[in-house]
Amino acid sequence: MAEKHKPAPMVDEVSEFEVLEIAVRELAIEKGLFTAEDHQHWTEYMHTLGPLPAARLVAKAWLDPEYKKLAVKDGVKASLDVGIDWVNSMPTKFGTPSDYCNLRVLEDTPKLKHVVVCTLCSCYPRPILGQSPEWYRTPNYRRRLVRWPRQVLAEFGLQLPEDVEVRVEDSNQKSRFIVLPVRPEGTEGWTEDQLAEIVTRDCLIGVAVPRPGKTVNDPRPVRPAINPYKH
Amino acid sequence: MSKPHYDREHHAKKATGIGDPQCFKGEAGPAKFKVGDKVRIKDLPDIFYSRTQVYTRGAPATVAELVYESPAAEDESWDNTDNPVWFYSVVFKQKDLWPDYPDAFANDTVETELPERWLEPL
Repeated sequence: MAEKHKPAPMVDEVSEFEVLEIAVRELAIEKGLFTAEDHQHWTEYMHTLGPLPAARLVAKAWLDPEYKKLAVKDGVKASLDVGIDWVNSMPTKFGTPSDYCNLRVLEDTPKLKHVVVCTLCSCYPRPILGQSPEWYRTPNYRRRLVRWPRQVLAEFGLQLPEDVEVRVEDSNQKSRFIVLPVRPEGTEGWTEDQLAEIVTRDCLIGVAVPRPGKTVNDPRPVRPAINPYKH
Repeated sequence: MSKPHYDREHHAKKATGIGDPQCFKGEAGPAKFKVGDKVRIKDLPDIFYSRTQVYTRGAPATVAELVYESPAAEDESWDNTDNPVWFYSVVFKQKDLWPDYPDAFANDTVETELPERWLEPL
């Protein structure tokens, strides 16, 4: 009887990657590459990150043409106004191989739509946008977006007319990218706070466009695998 | 025999407080290409490490922006930061990358960044 009332384990199993991460981390600490405190410092820093500063940057750019020019010209400098210092807010003070200190803000126009992918890994502007969503890291998204961008965007619910140029930004080197979408109709006279609310993470990656009243990302449709991996 | 000294923190010392790629600014010399130049992506060997996507090899592109100076990934992956080069943001027509890309969307493009050594004038 007691067997039946055992509490469910909090984690079913630790993945091989997690085992590898722990092993490498402990070796690095033992060898003195960094300390356990450094590791904790980094982990806590990573947990403070999210998409709000990038949404704020877009809202400010919509309201202030001068700020928009600055954002497009020098994304790192424009980030300072939304509280993100690409160089000094990171515990290392110089970036890391996965978070280099160069941000480019890609300005959409009514005839040009940007969308960001990293086909080689999963480069993502984490200091200003937080951790990437799971789908952004999947080979499915990464390999198909450069080849069939319109079809992939349609799966996200974004269908673009023929005369709009779709520009896929393959983030493969030291720049990180966010999209500055076109300000939607129906937002005339809105405050910066109101505007920032409709700039969702998906809008900043480029797989969605902001719409008045829409303040959360759409759920991603999850379909069963055709050839599921047998455990 | 003493161990050869290797300063594992040479990059951190150089970049702290400045940022990477900002810390390589001014080290690449004059840029070979300018905005608007037509280039072709070389198909160089990449036995060990590269960040030049295979789908771009041999394709024509247009330089959209000179973005920063930095060692190329092929060098930096071995911690060699001696030869920074210019990096260019280049734009490909989708049609040039995938010949069967639909004609209806002939305006569609792909943009990516590549180091100077991978580009040749077209």
